[in-house]
Amino acid sequence: MSSKISGQVSPQPCPHILDFRSRNGSKPFRALQDCIRVKAPGGRAAIRREPSEVPRCGTCEESSRPRLYACVACAAVFCHAPPLHSHASSHALSIPGHEIAVDVDRAELFCCACRDQVYDRDFDAAVVLAQTITATATTSTSGSTGMQCNIAGSQPENLRKRRRVDYRPWAPDSREHAIIGNHSMPLNDTTNASSISSTELPWGLRGLNNLGNTCFMNSVLQALLHTPPLRNYFLSDRHNRYYCQQKNGALNGTKNSRLCLACDMDAMFSAVFSGDRTPYSPAKFLYSWWQHAANLASYEQQDAHEFFISMLDGIHEKVEKDKRKSQSPGSGDCCIAHRVFSGILRSDVMCMACGFTSTTYDPCVDISLDLEPNQGGSGKSSSTKSHNSCNVEADFVGSSQNCGISTLKGCLERFTRAEKLGSDQKFFCQKCQVRQESLKQMSIRKLPLVSCFHIKRFEHSSIRKMPRKVDRYLQFPFSLDMAPYLSSSILRSRFGNRIFPFDADEQDASNDLSSEFELFAVVTHSGRLDAGHYVTYLRLSNQWYKCDDAWITRVNENIVRAAQGYMMFYVQKMLYYKASEKQAASGYDVQR
Amino acid sequence: MKHSVNRPPTPDAADDRGKEPTLQEIINIKLIESGEKERLMELLRERLMECGWKDEMKALCRAYIKKKGRNNVTVDDLVHLITPKGRASIPDSVKAELLQRIRSFLVSATL
Repeated sequence: MSSKISGQVSPQPCPHILDFRSRNGSKPFRALQDCIRVKAPGGRAAIRREPSEVPRCGTCEESSRPRLYACVACAAVFCHAPPLHSHASSHALSIPGHEIAVDVDRAELFCCACRDQVYDRDFDAAVVLAQTITATATTSTSGSTGMQCNIAGSQPENLRKRRRVDYRPWAPDSREHAIIGNHSMPLNDTTNASSISSTELPWGLRGLNNLGNTCFMNSVLQALLHTPPLRNYFLSDRHNRYYCQQKNGALNGTKNSRLCLACDMDAMFSAVFSGDRTPYSPAKFLYSWWQHAANLASYEQQDAHEFFISMLDGIHEKVEKDKRKSQSPGSGDCCIAHRVFSGILRSDVMCMACGFTSTTYDPCVDISLDLEPNQGGSGKSSSTKSHNSCNVEADFVGSSQNCGISTLKGCLERFTRAEKLGSDQKFFCQKCQVRQESLKQMSIRKLPLVSCFHIKRFEHSSIRKMPRKVDRYLQFPFSLDMAPYLSSSILRSRFGNRIFPFDADEQDASNDLSSEFELFAVVTHSGRLDAGHYVTYLRLSNQWYKCDDAWITRVNENIVRAAQGYMMFYVQKMLYYKASEKQAASGYDVQR
Repeated sequence: MKHSVNRPPTPDAADDRGKEPTLQEIINIKLIESGEKERLMELLRERLMECGWKDEMKALCRAYIKKKGRNNVTVDDLVHLITPKGRASIPDSVKAELLQRIRSFLVSATL
């Protein structure tokens, strides 16, 4: 019943608006355009014949109705107040051709006969244009664009060049078959026959010994060992530790053998997927990581998220020295860690005085989300004016306040919400040349292959010396659609309910289909900040497994749903090949 | 269409009929003319967003639409659905703040 316009689903027009359009020529809403009034920069659009007009219902003379509609045909204003009455509908029904009206306070089209909102591209384009003009958007710093209707122009380079190649199933021919056979080891275990066939545990599930408060490392490693793109990369020998070490002279036993976390990962993948079920001790990996992150080298419990970041950094750092760092940030062309986890965040800061918007793009390997502090309060941990006032008032909130459960989607919505940078956080506006109150909004420009969500459960406050832990339960879905948090969606929603005339290119068509994610790993934390324990839940073939250091057990999904999520790992449901000049576009690089 | 747009606004109906405008009417007009109504609306929107009220209403709408089917729901249905719950779940603090603002405005307007 709905059609797709440049990737966005738009509702089917009702017969009345179709009729109206056909009877009123090419620009049926042209006259309304002059009546679009936008107050503040980037503010709401209203319909007024004169700026100071006070709309009033022609039938009952009320001006304080919540919904007032102006008939597009005759400009008469009527109220719409179901179930009491609808003078707008009465008008529509009494005069044919007068069914279409516009909400005077929201500048949204309404069919008074169908009693539902309708959409028109030209009208929406005019409203968006009016709102954008008052925002006086101009191009701003760091190769980014202002808030425009058609956000083409300077996009991050890597996105402009990206083309998508359709999936073509591949099967090895006889020659490739021979090569595969000669250069690989069958996973059919021949060593520990007894301990394998009896268990039902799938391949690659192997406990990790705790080497002294190393559950923070084990939990993250388990998640990474089962991160599909990462697993595929290492298991298909894309980083060969023997070749790598030989290159670095490590095999010669030289003292300055370069440590390579990727090599250690490769060793771990081989060990974990070997079929051996006895718990593995990632001692070599721990040692290498200590050398990389010397400040975190101790037998104390560390933060799993910190370890995760540090580890990705370690893999990246090593690779950087090999290749010249010519790739654009966020493209993921530099190393496998970034190829898998790197996405791009977009930040828009709009000056509330003049409307000038500054847009910046930053690569990220994960998204850290705040939990709402108490029921009734929301907002980021940064001290905004509103946050403080809400916190105090939370105590006075009556029982009528619905204390809902925190959800991951709720956190993402808050993350991408427009936030007022109040008087204590004024942003320097390039146009005004002074610090002004601004509106900041985050959105996701490019989704990574694997999205890692980190929940900020450890509150660092300046008041207390010790950070506090937030145990508040967070509900997370098993399937997640990231489309509403993409820059295209966020920008669209700034203008209200509009059919946004976006350029198809801007949309980055691949985002449409690849915004669906599936949960595959959850790192949970239980206990106190100083005496806690990390456990990872893995989802393999839709079965859930609990990985508690050396102990792996199968668990029911409800256990996972009820767990206290600290880091959640989602992988894109559909992976696409990137168009490349090489013959073997993505899979096996058969030539050695 | 063009002509009707350029037509002067509907004359004040109260003058026309000789009917006395109600107090609510007078206050409303004063609020609009001074721009205070717009500021209050913005303030209200901000408060309701911060305390999660907007998200709750959104969730209610989504659940309803999911149940009924996207093409079987109108704006009126949704308004009808969330109006009672919405009105009931506005935090007292928000009500208090807005009433206070309106009171201050009235005091300053009569001076």
